[in-house]
Amino acid sequence: MSWIREGELNLIEKLSANILKAGPMPKHVAFIMDGNRRYARKRQVERQEGHTQGFDKLAETLRWCLNLSIHEVTVYAFSIENFKRSKDEVDGLMELAKQKFIRLLEEQDNLEKHGVCIRVLGDLTLLPLDLQQHIARAVVATRTHNKCFLNVCFAYTSRHEIANAVREMAWGVEQGLIKSSDVSEALLSRCLYSSNSPNPDLLIRTSGEVRLSDFLLWQTSHSCLVFQSVLWPEYSFWNLCDAILQYQLNHRPLQKARDQHREGQALQQQEADRACLADLLQHHGNGKPLDAQRRQEALLNYTASREERVQDFLGALQHKRDSFLTDLTRQAALA
Amino acid sequence: MAIVYEFVWQVLHVLLHIHRTLITWFRIRLRNWNGRLWSRALTALIVPMALSFPNQKNIVPAPGKRVGRRYRWGADGKSLEKLPDHIGLLIAEEEPRYTDIANLVVWCMAVGISYVSVYDNYGVFRRNNSRLMDEILKQQQELLDLEGSKQLCVEFLNNGTDKQDQQVLSCQSVLKVLSPDDGKLRIVQAAQQLCRAVEQREKTSEDINVTVLDSLLRESKSTPDPDLVLKFGPVESTLGFLPWHIRLTEFISLPSHVGVSYEDLFSALQRYASCEQRLGK
Repeated sequence: MSWIREGELNLIEKLSANILKAGPMPKHVAFIMDGNRRYARKRQVERQEGHTQGFDKLAETLRWCLNLSIHEVTVYAFSIENFKRSKDEVDGLMELAKQKFIRLLEEQDNLEKHGVCIRVLGDLTLLPLDLQQHIARAVVATRTHNKCFLNVCFAYTSRHEIANAVREMAWGVEQGLIKSSDVSEALLSRCLYSSNSPNPDLLIRTSGEVRLSDFLLWQTSHSCLVFQSVLWPEYSFWNLCDAILQYQLNHRPLQKARDQHREGQALQQQEADRACLADLLQHHGNGKPLDAQRRQEALLNYTASREERVQDFLGALQHKRDSFLTDLTRQAALA
Repeated sequence: MAIVYEFVWQVLHVLLHIHRTLITWFRIRLRNWNGRLWSRALTALIVPMALSFPNQKNIVPAPGKRVGRRYRWGADGKSLEKLPDHIGLLIAEEEPRYTDIANLVVWCMAVGISYVSVYDNYGVFRRNNSRLMDEILKQQQELLDLEGSKQLCVEFLNNGTDKQDQQVLSCQSVLKVLSPDDGKLRIVQAAQQLCRAVEQREKTSEDINVTVLDSLLRESKSTPDPDLVLKFGPVESTLGFLPWHIRLTEFISLPSHVGVSYEDLFSALQRYASCEQRLGK
């Protein structure tokens, strides 16, 4: 399969994988695949060749991840900022993406066999229409697969994603599905493009740069960050093992920080619910103060009704997103 | 077979742990050894001051020397190809040492960095704001021989209000003390504000975009995003530091803030000066 290289690990690699797997393993790894152009310069080949080799390396890395029982991978393929590059380069990248998605659709049986679910995160409306249609077809075709997940960030920046999530919540308010007081950290997370995935446990950036470049800023706040100096097309199985080792060394303190953050979030939500309830009682109550038990009941009721509202809203949001993709596939079929 | 793998894994991690501990131990030993050497040279050559010198920091050179250091640090800053406008000091360690952090803040300001942020993921600095401030003023005095607020002054920005804009203009450097509440929680609060505006029909959902959200999340119009974050401690994560603002921030890790020296800071700044930002292009 072109997107996931066939093959198994050799003996030494298998041994190392088994040793690593004795410890905590990341379930979701994110990659910033940086260094294609520098690799091309180094090897004195065309830039486009660098990008093609980068894609091949992605296929190989996905194979290693599956061998290491890492079932979810997110990659940063194309940033909204990359539109600033020369027209030739951008067109070349769009063409490469189109070829890869077309190829993907030709391998549907294999995708089904391996249970691969492809998702594309980003503002697809910024892409050429034919690419949008190919992407929509690939995503819709693999929607129900659930053995492993590949999230490709295309026409993506984290700030756009967060702003989009806020816009969706505002849409929910406009439609009367939720109230502004329902807005919370948890709800925002469920409105991001990545809402169907857990947060990445490990973020790897290659080529030696030590910045996040507007990638998954919200989702990686408590992830293990590993910056490696190897160029992406030269990435090896041992680089991946090294990153996982770093993850294992950081596992306990990060788990503790994450748990603490979650506890803080739960407390904040409770406080917010209490405040909203107090507001409601003030405006709609009959003026009599409630005793402790009634208050507790009222709070539970309020929380339950808020959660129901939120569920309905999220259902509507998912439907809106699904419709966008199915409309694209229908257009593609008619074309 | 699984037991064998697990055993090997345990051994591997013990070895890595020992390796890490040894490196830290050697680093501290080397610094102390160096420190003793320098402090002996200093006292022998320059000032016949009868002060103890087991620790470099206890040396109090003559006032002339302090002023000399201030100018040297300022010159160091000017010698770099680029200096961050806004530096973040992320303390990812369990027990913060206020003196060391105060030193870092004072050095950053002496070198010419306009905005310095201090962050820890337990919110300890926020809660002990005044203690940090006292320590910084004390170190400012000791390291730079500056009384009160002559050239450097420290403004504590906790929650952005317009009033602070005017105060900021009168200062050469600005210090911000941050906690996790300034990260995701602030973004959520901005989102709530925008949704309330939509609820009250003052805005529509289509009006919401990156620019609108960014302007709400900016402390004041002039505060830049952090260009550089120095992370102190073994944990490899941003630990909730300002998720919105760090899209282009360079991250440089330093092993610990305990006993950190000016040279450690300066070499991190040199490393920052040599990095190339392509901004997507």
